[in-house]
Amino acid sequence: MNTRSISFRLVAWYAGLLAGIFLLLCALLYLDLRHFLENDLRESQSRRTRQIANTLLAHVKQTGEPYVASQTKDWYEPEINDRFIRITRADGTLVYVSDAPKDGSFDSAEVPIFPPSSQTEFSRKLQLSGNKTLLIAALNFKSSGNPAYLVEFGELLDPVETMLNHLFLQLVLGLPLAVVIIAGGGYLLVRRALTPVEQITRAAERITQYNLSERLPVSSTGDELERLSVSLNRMITRLDDAFQNSKRFVADASHELRTPLTILRGELENLNEDAHLNLEVRDQLGSLLEEVERLSKIVEQLFALSRLDAGEAQTEWTRFDLAELAKTTAEQMNLLAEDKGIAISCNVDKKVPVAGDRARLKQVVVNLLDNAIKYTPKQGAIQLNVTTVNGHAVLEVVDNGMGIPPDAQPHVFERFYRVDQTRSGDSGSAGLGLSIVKSICTAHGAEVEVQSTIGKGSRFRVKLPLFSNGNIS
Amino acid sequence: MVYSFVKELQLMRILLVEDEKKVADIIVRGLKAERYAVDVCHDGQSGWEMANTYDYDLIVLDLMLPGLTGTEILEKVRRKNSLVPILILTARDGMGDKIKNFETGADDYLTKPFAFAELQVRIKALLRRGPVNRSSVLRVGDLEIDRLSQNVKRAGKKIELTAKEYSLLEYLATHPGRVFSRTMIIEHVWDQSFEGLTNIVDVYVRHLREKLDDAFPVKLLRTVRGVGYSLSDGTQT
Repeated sequence: MNTRSISFRLVAWYAGLLAGIFLLLCALLYLDLRHFLENDLRESQSRRTRQIANTLLAHVKQTGEPYVASQTKDWYEPEINDRFIRITRADGTLVYVSDAPKDGSFDSAEVPIFPPSSQTEFSRKLQLSGNKTLLIAALNFKSSGNPAYLVEFGELLDPVETMLNHLFLQLVLGLPLAVVIIAGGGYLLVRRALTPVEQITRAAERITQYNLSERLPVSSTGDELERLSVSLNRMITRLDDAFQNSKRFVADASHELRTPLTILRGELENLNEDAHLNLEVRDQLGSLLEEVERLSKIVEQLFALSRLDAGEAQTEWTRFDLAELAKTTAEQMNLLAEDKGIAISCNVDKKVPVAGDRARLKQVVVNLLDNAIKYTPKQGAIQLNVTTVNGHAVLEVVDNGMGIPPDAQPHVFERFYRVDQTRSGDSGSAGLGLSIVKSICTAHGAEVEVQSTIGKGSRFRVKLPLFSNGNIS
Repeated sequence: MVYSFVKELQLMRILLVEDEKKVADIIVRGLKAERYAVDVCHDGQSGWEMANTYDYDLIVLDLMLPGLTGTEILEKVRRKNSLVPILILTARDGMGDKIKNFETGADDYLTKPFAFAELQVRIKALLRRGPVNRSSVLRVGDLEIDRLSQNVKRAGKKIELTAKEYSLLEYLATHPGRVFSRTMIIEHVWDQSFEGLTNIVDVYVRHLREKLDDAFPVKLLRTVRGVGYSLSDGTQT
């Protein structure tokens, strides 16, 4: 899971925040309840001490201490009700103490006599053996004409503890469960909300310069995502326009250049026909004609590129054997290589059926071989390999020439790009050959790449889908 | 705006419809020198009227015209059931255009800028309706090319040529004295895929020249700088 994704972060924040709030609420609830229950118990105990003091001890003079003791025992039945009751005189001697409760939960004798206190009413907690807590409310009874007594009334905190423990267990188990459920639900909700984002992302990934007419899906929900996809679509439209404009510009420009070139060429050829020209002038005219020819070639190649960009290669789609095409092309160009003492070895052993525009793909082979011949020194060697790899036809042109510097390699397929600016003068080419190769390959759904080592040579590799009965319409 | 250059009745009559006056002038001048009668129109409407009124042996048609476009004229002429050969001149050479115009009934197609020599060759081919020279033996000076056996002899001595060298020589020999541009040679001897590489023609011509001319005092293969190559013994022009 991607921890940086919006859905993960949203759910994590959401669940974390909720868990914190829950924890706080539970702690408050637990503490408050504990406080309330203990207070409640203490209240009722204090009430009882006051009862004993007001109803029995107030009349101790008339009734005598033994009566108070027996009455207390009768009224409160401490042994049955698991209570602790003790009445002591001011000097610490006992008037009455309850026996151990019948269930044996504690032993009254264990409860020590507390040192005298100046407070009228107070309470204390006593930790007994067996992890039991006794809560005792005490009352210092003083009235005029009577001796002072300390009345103590105690009960075990056990039922409160049990209840609190139960609550604690429920909270400890329930809280993580609640957080898990909330996080799960939150994740589903966020996923649902972000699904259009996924769709927009996938659609945007598919858009390249060749399908700028496509648009992203717009869900008309009126939310932020709709606005986002609409603005992205507007951006693609602007890109498309800019791209179309630049393409149209190349097409228009090469078209507009043709007429003046025709006139230049015609007039120069006419002049050249004149038999009375001296050699020098004829040579200059020849030079002009050569330049007109070069200009025409550039215009033609630019036009060819703009046509390929417009997707025209699809008009002449046929099925043919790439191996045979490569072999015959290499034979046709052999003399060109021989002229420089370069040997072209053609490694083709079986048929490699592909579908495409045969003349265009032949141009790929021609341009790659021409490039290799141009940049391989005399007595070099060029290999032309055609093989099949994983359902693809692979055509390789390998030379042992001068190689291409690493920083130039990504640019060799760009229009008018030259590895070495000083070579621009030779052979009358404009640096469009490889970009034509690239455009033809792209039009055929093929990839072209170059690997090269300085001083060792270059390897141009074209990978295009093999023909199968399914992929031609 | 119609100029007539009719001189003799038996002359081949050509209609040129081209709105660029300078281009039209160059073509007219060249064709006049070849002794054709040429009428020129500079817009589509008058072009169609001329084509509709007179019987031409050939129409040379530019595609981008004011008024009617070249394609529309082509359709109108063909709808009239006229079989006059039509050569299209265009500044666009999109494959789609080419196919469309051939379907509409164009006989040939030439993209600007073109060498005038190429226009000449194509016009001649269209007017004669077939290859220009059908004889089985071509002769240029003391050079003999037997088209059936593909044997080449110079001054009686046999010259061994590769297949490509032979096609190149035979092509140049079809019009002795005419200059062939590299583009024409590539399209005829190789194919369009080689158009980017003009030096392939130079290399082959050099090899051909070694075999053909080096041993003889009279050189037949001539280079015309900036234009192309021609085969001539000096007597033809």
